[in-house]
Amino acid sequence: MTFGRLPPVTDPRITDLRINDARKTIVVTGVGVVSPYGIGLDCLQAGMLSGKCCLTPTKDVYPGFEGSTAQVCGLSLPATGADPRYSRSDRLAMVAARDAVTNLDCESVAFRESGAFMASTVAGLSEIDPGIAEDPAAWYRRGGGLARAASYPPAHVADAVGDDLGIRGPRCAVSAACASSAMAIALAANILLDGAAPMMLAGGSDALCPFTLSGFSSLQALDPEPCRPFDQNRNGLNLGEGAAVLVLETLEAAVARNASVLAVLRGWAMTNDAFHTTAPQQQGNGLADCMRLAMEMAKVSGDQIGYVNAHGTGTPLNDVAEANAYESVFRGRTSPIPVSSTKSYFGHCLGAAGALEAAITIVAVRCGALLPTLRLTDPIVSPSVNWLRGDVRREMLPLAMSVSAGFGGSNTALIFGDGGFGNDRS
Amino acid sequence: MTSNLAAITGIGSVSPYGPLAGLIPQCALEPEPITAWPTAGLRRAFLVKPFRPASVVPGLKTRRLDRLSAWALVASSLAIQDSGIDLSHVDRSRVAVVFGTGFGCAELTEAFFQSAAANGWSGTDPSPFPEGLANAPSSHVALWHGLRGPNITVGSAGFAGESAMIQATSLLRHGQADLAIVLAGDTLTRAVYEWYEAAGLLSPSCYKAEPLTEGGGFVPSEGVVALVLEPAGRRDVRAYAHFTSGRWAVDRKAVETIRQMLGSVVPSLTICAGNGAPCATSSTAVLAREISGPNTEIVPAQAVAAGLADAGAFLHLILALSSRPRSGLALLLGTSGDNGFAALLLELP
Repeated sequence: MTFGRLPPVTDPRITDLRINDARKTIVVTGVGVVSPYGIGLDCLQAGMLSGKCCLTPTKDVYPGFEGSTAQVCGLSLPATGADPRYSRSDRLAMVAARDAVTNLDCESVAFRESGAFMASTVAGLSEIDPGIAEDPAAWYRRGGGLARAASYPPAHVADAVGDDLGIRGPRCAVSAACASSAMAIALAANILLDGAAPMMLAGGSDALCPFTLSGFSSLQALDPEPCRPFDQNRNGLNLGEGAAVLVLETLEAAVARNASVLAVLRGWAMTNDAFHTTAPQQQGNGLADCMRLAMEMAKVSGDQIGYVNAHGTGTPLNDVAEANAYESVFRGRTSPIPVSSTKSYFGHCLGAAGALEAAITIVAVRCGALLPTLRLTDPIVSPSVNWLRGDVRREMLPLAMSVSAGFGGSNTALIFGDGGFGNDRS
Repeated sequence: MTSNLAAITGIGSVSPYGPLAGLIPQCALEPEPITAWPTAGLRRAFLVKPFRPASVVPGLKTRRLDRLSAWALVASSLAIQDSGIDLSHVDRSRVAVVFGTGFGCAELTEAFFQSAAANGWSGTDPSPFPEGLANAPSSHVALWHGLRGPNITVGSAGFAGESAMIQATSLLRHGQADLAIVLAGDTLTRAVYEWYEAAGLLSPSCYKAEPLTEGGGFVPSEGVVALVLEPAGRRDVRAYAHFTSGRWAVDRKAVETIRQMLGSVVPSLTICAGNGAPCATSSTAVLAREISGPNTEIVPAQAVAAGLADAGAFLHLILALSSRPRSGLALLLGTSGDNGFAALLLELP
């Protein structure tokens, strides 16, 4: 299944779009993905719809580490990717960004003046080893250490993408732990509304590396087996890696260049729990507020949201807080809200998770395909939630929401719609 | 014509000048010798002298925090105090925190690597790991003050502070927050300092106990500056400056972008907020001359702020405002040191 040939925005169905001001409507006109399924949204979509789980024993890749992870294999690197200044997170991001702009006229002024907001929690940490701790100066002198360490700042990922594509607009790193790339998308949308750039590339990228494997292991947050989000017997998360980049622009700009619109970003919101640096507020109040604000912006009710792609890490604390948030927001709906966690397919990609899940949510809206949570046998009791499990569910979806949360209490919600540009259910 | 979007109504800082609310009393500042780690001979930097945060902000508990988070808490508390805002009378779900940083919590990242070097990857100390995330300081600010609005940490090579200001103003403009605490800062660590040194970026003044010399590199610095940003005209209070517009871009596009932003406006003041060497031939100074009018006063970059990596803009701004009373339109001009530029247009009362 693919998106197939997309209708142009001059399609008569544009009249279905209940959006009045094309300058204030943000649309998605490109999606680029690098995931453990491979490069491209089609690859991700086909892999997930087939129910394939990419989680494999971590020790196969990182000897000494237990548990399961999902790695991107056989990555075809851009020519500059072999440069030691570029980290694996940089390279994943560059590949995803190139994939996102495949159908764009890269010589156009709008493209040249576009910006890049990219999130990463790992950035260049994957290129640094503990040897730096003893004597940094000596480490920099060895084996290209100076160049490798230059990729450490999170801003490096946005610069890598911007330099690789030759775009000259605003560049920025966004850090909000595991909500980072969803927040990058929200902030890029704000920048477009400000008129500060004609087009924005927004997303996230994170590589697997010993630093994060060790960190989450030290926190005892890793499930030694493939994770089971929202299951009563869940036991933690698995780590994955990947990158996703969305091309965002105003509907007005997309119409002007006769672009194909993949989805409309109908609403977005960001909140903070202000509760604890690592634990979510157990009633999920901050996350619930975030979803309500996004729905308020989109001017929709809970009944109009057809699916929620959850943060769903599989940790005991996150999943309870999240279930409570859904209960709070969707209580009173005519039917329980369909929810799933797609981290059960290829783990938690940290700074890239929000953008990857935004891409999956766009697939859900365009194809009417609601992916189940894998290995969910005994779900958390939550009367207002329909925990999707078993087979892929087929359903026309006017709107779907992607929810992200992170250490530090950050929450982000993004609402996507097809905007009347036509679903592709081939 | 310009329209003011937001007002800076409070300032707090933790810098080599110490922890301060409001503007910074002018005094000469020389780099200090580094004693926090072993160095091969004299190495100097602009350093924040150790202080007890609870002596500045009563009740503040920072024992388990790294310096960046502790300074963010102190600076934000001082800025809120300086603004005269009583947070108990504010809807704190509508208050955003936006933090610009180049390196984030580098101290804790280094501590985690040290723990891995000592115990192997399987025996690392869990405490520095989540606190080492770049967004930890902004999270602590939200937690301490109970701020439940958007909580955003941004980095942009050379102008994280300017980026934070533009994002915060955007939140106010789009009704996503009613008030924003905007911060910018970094800490100086051994790995960061020695990277600068290995890359040949340090000023000769880092190696000699002599007065600062201009050019030839920079003297690293550290600190956090917090600003309270609120919609212009909402309260009848003193404003240090009004934010009018801001843009950032790469290479020659940046010049066009800044010119478009300025339109027919000619700033009376251009504050060079570039990182790196604070000298007349720096890329910031060259651009400042290119885009300023003949009667525009160009305020050169200050060494103590120029060494503050990507996050020096706010320190540049408050140093310029502190040096003498100014009014009119001011352009705060930052640079990434190679080909990126950011510009904030401010109206000074």
